[in-house]
Amino acid sequence: MKNGRGRTSQQRQRRREFLIKTAGGALVTTALAAFPLRLRAAEPVNIGALYPVTGSMAQIGQGCVNAAKLAVQMVNDAGGIKSLGGAKLNLIVSDVQSDTTVTRTETDRLINGYKLAAIHGCFASALTLIASEVAERAKVPLITGSSSDQLNKDRHYTFTPFARASQFAQAQLQMSKLVSDKPKVAVIFENTAFGTSTSNGLREKAPAEGVEIVMFEPYSAGFADAGPLINKVKASGADALFSVSYLNDLILIVRTIKQVGLKIALNGGSGGFVIPDFYKSVGTLAEGLQGVAHWNHDCSAEAEKVNAVYKKQYGEFLFEYAGGLVAQTFMLADALERAASTDPEKVRDALAALDVSSGYAAMGPGGRVKFGPDGKNIYAHPVGVQWQNGDLASVFPKDDARAPLVKT
Amino acid sequence: MLATLAQAVVNGLLIGGIYALVSIGVTLIFGVVKIVNFAQGEFVMIGMYISFFLATRYGIDPLLSLAVSMPVLFLIGVALQHFLIRRVLGLSDMPQIFLTFALSLLLMNLALLLFTANYRTVQTPYSDSALYLGPLYIPVAKLIAFVLAMALSAALWVFLHATDMGKAMRAAAQKPEVAMLMGINTNRVFCVAVGVSLALAGAAGSLLMPFYPASPMAGQVFVLMAFVAVVLGTLGNVKGALVASLMMGVAESLGIQFVGADSGLIVVFLMLLLTLAFRPSGLAGGAAR
Repeated sequence: MKNGRGRTSQQRQRRREFLIKTAGGALVTTALAAFPLRLRAAEPVNIGALYPVTGSMAQIGQGCVNAAKLAVQMVNDAGGIKSLGGAKLNLIVSDVQSDTTVTRTETDRLINGYKLAAIHGCFASALTLIASEVAERAKVPLITGSSSDQLNKDRHYTFTPFARASQFAQAQLQMSKLVSDKPKVAVIFENTAFGTSTSNGLREKAPAEGVEIVMFEPYSAGFADAGPLINKVKASGADALFSVSYLNDLILIVRTIKQVGLKIALNGGSGGFVIPDFYKSVGTLAEGLQGVAHWNHDCSAEAEKVNAVYKKQYGEFLFEYAGGLVAQTFMLADALERAASTDPEKVRDALAALDVSSGYAAMGPGGRVKFGPDGKNIYAHPVGVQWQNGDLASVFPKDDARAPLVKT
Repeated sequence: MLATLAQAVVNGLLIGGIYALVSIGVTLIFGVVKIVNFAQGEFVMIGMYISFFLATRYGIDPLLSLAVSMPVLFLIGVALQHFLIRRVLGLSDMPQIFLTFALSLLLMNLALLLFTANYRTVQTPYSDSALYLGPLYIPVAKLIAFVLAMALSAALWVFLHATDMGKAMRAAAQKPEVAMLMGINTNRVFCVAVGVSLALAGAAGSLLMPFYPASPMAGQVFVLMAFVAVVLGTLGNVKGALVASLMMGVAESLGIQFVGADSGLIVVFLMLLLTLAFRPSGLAGGAAR
């Protein structure tokens, strides 16, 4: 009885549905025939954005999301993806909470929950490695500014348009030659995995670059006083100092160098050293300090333009990772345009065939993007930067330099 | 070589002065109230933030803000003793340890919530300057901190030996029951002791601010050294803690200079182990003064 009634109502339901659909369909067809294409709203293209907007990396993660939104707006304002009928990009942001487990589940959730054409993320290499694994398995292309060389190993859907970690050490060594023809370099590093691996990379590459390392010293992170350590650096007679340190120790090191009156060029490397927050914490002490980055806001006219918009909106300059992310969004737009499809597999193939040397997609050191078989941009290299008047100026290499190095 | 050695000793003494302020606070609470305050570092951190905000919001020099941070922390100390420590004094060690340990975690996380994990610095005219004596340099900010730390330690010594309250404090430290029979209000004495101890931590925070960045975890750097100094200088002994702190500063500095930059603490802990092996009650002997 119950079943029977259910069936009749179901049938009635179906009939109503059929009527609506045919009538509606007829209407739509006539409408479309009357106004071809123009009024048909193209389905938006979903792009997944995985960034830590809570937890220890929240500040930088939020900056990335801001930049990603700005980039999507720029693409959409310029008419969206024309080969898809002017389809708009639709950014689906997910918070990976600075946590590897959350990153795994969030990447999975995004891929299964939405029809994603591509993903970008996650700023921190440790998180990106996880997201990349999940994306590889799901066969969804992932594009990232993270620098870990591991992202280029056995991967087919992961694309890295900017300089790799292994290139940073080399750039840092070459930069020391701006200070002196035969540079004597002191390397001090915190005795953690991060400090040890980075400094070993520097030591291995030094002979090939003709740089002499006169001091190579691990220290315990989180010290109360940098005096004894700088005393040692002074005794070593170095003219350039590479400090692989987190912010707290770095502040003490910079202060102590000033107190001692030591004339030495300090290079703090990448990461937390080249973001606006560093200057906020350290203030004028940062003036003259050098670092390396995979992107800087003065690299091209396009970059300057985006930087101006970002600065107006968020009150600080467009930092390394966020700026690179704007370029990445335009690389995705370029690939989507050529793929004329939102199918992740086709988007991947279009990314692999990408070759741009102008416009927003190509803004960055090297000025050209073309991926090798390992997903690495063959034209990418890091840029040497220096804090000058509260801003980060590109000073190295010659082709990318926008200001001369100020000797400290 | 000699200049490097002398410089290492100077560096060590200067930072030892800060260790002393923290360790004297810990040893004072332990000597009088018989409780180990694991949250002492967090009170240093609070002192730093008081000075930081006074400096950035109102342009008050961190050294002048001692006049705010010390009284504020004294009052926090009195309240801490009256409302929290007093309740656990009759109990076993465990509740006492958990109380101050929980307080440490609470304050650290509260600071993370309120002030974020960012490092905050204050730039003063003397932050980056130094006096030059021949081949030696003496950073001005650290010198001022050292001199004021020694002055505060001396003032505490006078307070403990020349005032009625100080004498009552030492009496309560030796035998609280007898002190009580002699008409000493031990709770009041304990309140003052904890207050003074926290005021010293606050002073350390303010003195650090011109040359050390404030962060929620900043206190942890100093509290570890303070605990070693307290044990090394005999538990509860103020003079012992002072001397031990200076010794540790110098040992750490010499260790970094001549052994390796990651060996500063190794030298310090070696010193602690040797002392415990040969003089188990600390350098000052058995007496808790």
